[in-house]
Amino acid sequence: MEDAYPAFVLHSEATKPPMDDMPGNTDAAQFGARFGEDRTDEQLMVAFARGHADAFSALFLRYKQPLFGFFRRRVSDPALAEELTQETFLAVLRAGSRYQACALFRTWLYAIAFKILRAHRRKAIFRDMFHGQAPAGHEPAVESGVATEVLMRQAVGKLEPLDREVLLLREFEQLSYAEIAELLGLPLNTVRSRLFRARTALHDLLAAPAPIENLAETEERA
Amino acid sequence: MSYQTHTVAPEDVMALLDGELSAAEAAVVSAHLEQCAECGRLAAELRSTSQSLAQWAVPAAPPALDNSVLESARKAAGKHKAARPIRTVSLSFWNWRLWAIGGGGAALAALLFAAVVASSIFRGDRPTAQRLGVMVYPQVEQKEAFAVSSKLRERTASEPVAPPPSAGIVGIAGMEQDSLQSASSAAVGKARVVAQSTEEKSSSAAGAAPMIARGVSLSILVKDLAAARPVVDAILARHLGYAAQLTISDDGSPRNLQASLRVPAPELPAALADLKTLGRVTRETQSGEEVSQQHADLVARLQNSRETEQRLRAILEQRTGRIDDVLQVEEEIARVRGEIEGMEAEQKALEHRVDFARVDLQLSEEDKARTKVPTASLSTRLERSFDAGIDHATDSLLGIVFLVEEFGPVLLIWLAILGLPAVLVWRRYRRVKARG
Repeated sequence: MEDAYPAFVLHSEATKPPMDDMPGNTDAAQFGARFGEDRTDEQLMVAFARGHADAFSALFLRYKQPLFGFFRRRVSDPALAEELTQETFLAVLRAGSRYQACALFRTWLYAIAFKILRAHRRKAIFRDMFHGQAPAGHEPAVESGVATEVLMRQAVGKLEPLDREVLLLREFEQLSYAEIAELLGLPLNTVRSRLFRARTALHDLLAAPAPIENLAETEERA
Repeated sequence: MSYQTHTVAPEDVMALLDGELSAAEAAVVSAHLEQCAECGRLAAELRSTSQSLAQWAVPAAPPALDNSVLESARKAAGKHKAARPIRTVSLSFWNWRLWAIGGGGAALAALLFAAVVASSIFRGDRPTAQRLGVMVYPQVEQKEAFAVSSKLRERTASEPVAPPPSAGIVGIAGMEQDSLQSASSAAVGKARVVAQSTEEKSSSAAGAAPMIARGVSLSILVKDLAAARPVVDAILARHLGYAAQLTISDDGSPRNLQASLRVPAPELPAALADLKTLGRVTRETQSGEEVSQQHADLVARLQNSRETEQRLRAILEQRTGRIDDVLQVEEEIARVRGEIEGMEAEQKALEHRVDFARVDLQLSEEDKARTKVPTASLSTRLERSFDAGIDHATDSLLGIVFLVEEFGPVLLIWLAILGLPAVLVWRRYRRVKARG
């Protein structure tokens, strides 16, 4: 089992993970990390739009793990999470020439990721509706045998979908209330109230945890 | 836990912990937290929940992700666009915006197409069926003409060629009683006779096929009128037709030829095709008039008159009487005889109209015709185009109105038929989505 990374606290100048410890690093990736040491996300994106491939490598190294975590917490299949992560970065590549530094790159990136996630969910719903098949997947936390993660996933899965999304975006993606409101198309006060409701509900759920059960469906909802 | 007695909302406590309050608001909430144990417990709970969530770690991203994405990045940086992904989530198919845009565009295109079609159908005052009849008639008649065509050809080949009765207009007066003669124009120099017995015509008239008198009006621009004239004669000779009237004018204005041609009905399509090779067709009008009923009435009246004549002759032969009575019967016989001859002539004229289609041909010299077209000024052209634009817009709007009137009820029915399943599918989709 690979080492587990805690969720990163993201900012525009995000803390970079130690490069030497990252599995699968390439020379280009290391060069990209050095290239982006003193640059903000937005500066790197503009540089990439002007043809600097290393700028994108730096961005990729900054956001590879957070983005993979974003999807990994929301879909049950690790391969699918990897695929969605790849698709998000490819979408960034395609849209790179149109990027304008009028918004935080992080918000823009998660907006793309969220659209891709919603597209995946729509497909899953249609598959379920017309073919009567639940999306394939298995529970990685069960395989890893970490009971706290299982309990956490189970508790989060019991929240209302929108409350859950607001909570995850705040806790793991570290988006501000305004960014969450923009991303989900909700009023700011609604984000506040839903986040409060999700946190108190989760506190109650964690205080009285249910027995561990098959969480595949719960994971898909998340 | 009740927060109704607190000066700050519980969401404000949460926002303080998240760093979402301004400095002034944060100072107020912080001061409240120091005094209020209940809100302090809430803050502790919220911190605890966040710390619990932080334990939810995910494995490291697979190393394979680096290669595929960074390779695409290198290509994209060179081309400023990304290569197609190897494994992609087909977003486009499920993207409702694309569906909406595509569906809207298709609906708009269909509406425009319907408007154009409707405006062309409903333009003018005549009903659709009547307008379409101009096109339908020749096709119906064409089938009938082909049936008669073989008979005409056989008779033409077997019977001797007769001289033309006269130049110019060929009337029915010079024809024999039991046969119908036709001749090509005198200018051709040779004539052929197409004959068909009255009995055959009567039987064909009594048959199921309608009798249709066809007429065609053709305007053609030719380069050289002098060269076109013999070609017209040759076409007439080839198709056993003739010129009932032919006028050539050369009075300074563009030279033109106006002719009223008669062509055997079965030969009409071929003759028209040949005539159209003379030059550029600027106008073509075809019409068909059904005279079946008229012909049947005429035959019946003729039969009655003949029987009356026979009875009168029998009276004259069998009965004897005063001379005044004899003279009166003879006068009556003469009157009936006159009616019979008039009706026979009318019958033959009618049958001739059916057998020989009328072609009104107008040939104009192309170059001169072009030079005579005056060049309109820019303001005139702008005015004309503006008027035409208004007309087209009006036609299109009227077309849409007519279309809605004509197909609106049917569309409502189909909407009712298809709408119910669509609503059911949508509700099922929402239920499945709500279930997660």
